[in-house]
Amino acid sequence: MSFDWHVLMPLIFAGLMGLSILIYVVLDGFDLGIGILFAAATDDEKDTMIAAIGPFWDANETWLVLAVGLLLVAFPVAHGIILTALYLPVFALLFGLILRGVAFDFRAKVPVHRKYRWNFLFCIGSLIASLAQGYMLGVYVLGLETGIVAWGFGALVALCLAASYAAMGAAWLIYKTEGELQHKAVRLLRFTLVLTAVGMAVISIATPFASARIFEKWFDWPQIAWLAPLPIVTGLAFLWLWRLSFRLPAHDDRHSIAPFLSLAAIFSLGFAGLAYSFYPYVVPDRLTIWQASAAPESLAIILAGTAFVLPVIIVYSFFAYRIFGGKAGDLTYD
Amino acid sequence: MDPLILSRLQFAANISFHILFPTITIALGWVLLFFKLRYNATGDHAWMRAYFFWVKVFALSFALGVVSGVTMSFQFGTNWPGFMETVGNIAGPLLAYEVLTAFFLEAVFVGIMLFGFRRVSNGVHTLATFLVAVGTTMSAFWILALNSWMQTPAGFEMRDGVAFATDWWAIVFNPSFPYRLVHMLLASGLTASFLVAGLSALRYLSGDRSASMWKALRTGVYLGAILIPIQIFAGDMHGLNTLEHQPQKIAAMEANWETRGNVPLVLFAWPDEQARENRFELAVPSGASLILRHSPDGIVPGLNDYVGNHPPVAWVFWSFRVMVGIGLLMLALSWTASWFLWRKGTLPRPLAYGYTAMAFSGWLATLAGWYTTEIGRQPWLVTGVLHTKDAVGPVTAGQVGFTLAAYVALYVILTIVYLGVLTHLALKAAKDGDASPMPGVADRAMAQPAQAPG
Repeated sequence: MSFDWHVLMPLIFAGLMGLSILIYVVLDGFDLGIGILFAAATDDEKDTMIAAIGPFWDANETWLVLAVGLLLVAFPVAHGIILTALYLPVFALLFGLILRGVAFDFRAKVPVHRKYRWNFLFCIGSLIASLAQGYMLGVYVLGLETGIVAWGFGALVALCLAASYAAMGAAWLIYKTEGELQHKAVRLLRFTLVLTAVGMAVISIATPFASARIFEKWFDWPQIAWLAPLPIVTGLAFLWLWRLSFRLPAHDDRHSIAPFLSLAAIFSLGFAGLAYSFYPYVVPDRLTIWQASAAPESLAIILAGTAFVLPVIIVYSFFAYRIFGGKAGDLTYD
Repeated sequence: MDPLILSRLQFAANISFHILFPTITIALGWVLLFFKLRYNATGDHAWMRAYFFWVKVFALSFALGVVSGVTMSFQFGTNWPGFMETVGNIAGPLLAYEVLTAFFLEAVFVGIMLFGFRRVSNGVHTLATFLVAVGTTMSAFWILALNSWMQTPAGFEMRDGVAFATDWWAIVFNPSFPYRLVHMLLASGLTASFLVAGLSALRYLSGDRSASMWKALRTGVYLGAILIPIQIFAGDMHGLNTLEHQPQKIAAMEANWETRGNVPLVLFAWPDEQARENRFELAVPSGASLILRHSPDGIVPGLNDYVGNHPPVAWVFWSFRVMVGIGLLMLALSWTASWFLWRKGTLPRPLAYGYTAMAFSGWLATLAGWYTTEIGRQPWLVTGVLHTKDAVGPVTAGQVGFTLAAYVALYVILTIVYLGVLTHLALKAAKDGDASPMPGVADRAMAQPAQAPG
């Protein structure tokens, strides 16, 4: 086996980009979701919910910057094509992220009687950002098509992704809170879980039909045999989580992290399916990762830094999550 | 209007709004570390009180910097795809290193700095404060490396219209980088020190005489007084560097239409680009030759050598003068105030009013300075490599116009709210004085106490 950097480098960077998108979706998923769930929370609950994500949201969002940065850096041509095609949804995403990001801070610092305003904007901003991400995913799955079908499909995926973020948010709340709010989170999880399942099913069915190439990749023998476990395991994970939700919150708060972890696993499986479908294209059916790739010399420079820095980032991120472990609002540690 | 000018306006709006906040946080991070270290050394709670007040300002500015920075990272693709297609091999790694070495460091440790006060030891909390300051400074390092490379590119070769790196050391430490980095870090220091002094002066004016107010006031005034002469010197060096590498920018800054000796220093003028001359000129004879060549008959390059290849003169000329004018005001105010604080131990009310008025003077000077250097680079996006007009994307004017209007509206509102909240926080702190409960003691995350009723 020969190591040809021109072949290997784009592969490595596609992998790194995929990894950071996945981490972003899982991590920012829960704090965007908590923003969406603001719609169903009382004022006191909102403070606890914010405390559950306060130390994390900033670092979570940085994974998005890394993902876009990697797209920009490793596949500059694709970066231009994708982002100009998605110009308005990207704008909506950024607008939403700005709103929620500033609302997060302003709500705690403005005079108390104006706080409700920023609570509202935190919720709306989170919702807009989630919907925009879902819409972009939908349009991307259809190969960046425009037209009524793409818009409709984009809107459907937007709703489902927002619901699945809300599910992540609920799962995070089950882990980070207790009492009435935790019970409420369990109910919210069940409701949003159904929409998440619908969304994943819709995308799974639509993707192969949007492209003959993807259809063949999935349904030709023998691929179908060794790919079959992917949807089956995903389905089982959904069922398991659904059943578990009826036993939560459990005695001694057992399994409180389980919903979050199983949703993260479900997201990862879905993501793996998508990655398999689109490989080796970075712009669906138009541009492969090799056609869109930057110069291997420049990528090597980044890779050297990444290999050293990424583990450090992961270590101190874990450190931060450990420091802020335990129930939110229960801040009497010394 | 065509998409090019709209995209340029949008980029200008985004980056102008964005830079306001890093300009504060880069230096404020170090000021916070100073407060924390003073507290650690003296055990004086006033230092910690000052820390807790300013960490709120930091948190707010940091959040605005983060969200506007995310916007920046998408702008390259949505509006300027030609930029990455042409120089992506250079810009990519520099941006990637910024994310890897700076963003994550800041983002993770700012959580510990804001919320972790009662969860980690004092030492770890001090370390987190230090790492956040390091992160913001590293971020400035990489971004200024990229910006300087766009001004004075080096260490690359062009193959089929695409830039390839040949020497990374030369790319990062390109000719204008050291000057620009120092100039910007000092600008951040001045912005933060005038903000600290300005809001403290506001507290002073509303009757606050608490120890923490005095500590912050002195820190801001003295820091500003120390930094401003250094900045004037560094700015002069940066100007000489620009004269060497981008003479057309200097020609526009001085509104000098002809290459010659004995070039006057134009104090005021209305540069007329049609007639290629200055109207209403008020000038010091041979002043520019003296400053730039250190000799009255020194030859200074003029715009006649760069017809069709120089930036719009009036913009560059005027923003440069705004920056310098604010710098001189800063010098006058901070030295006068330092004298009174040092010798008389107090701050006369007129000076306190002056500081309140100049709390955000650093913003204006920084923006004016950036307009000088960025507009001064036109018509190039990357000097000699890529014209701005060749990098713009295919998005229609209608779409860009819509998003531009929405961004501007959002930014105007957020700036007003930001200023309002800072004033509110300062007046609230002034009312509480030293009687305010120490934050972090309540059963809440540290950045949250302001939401308690009252």
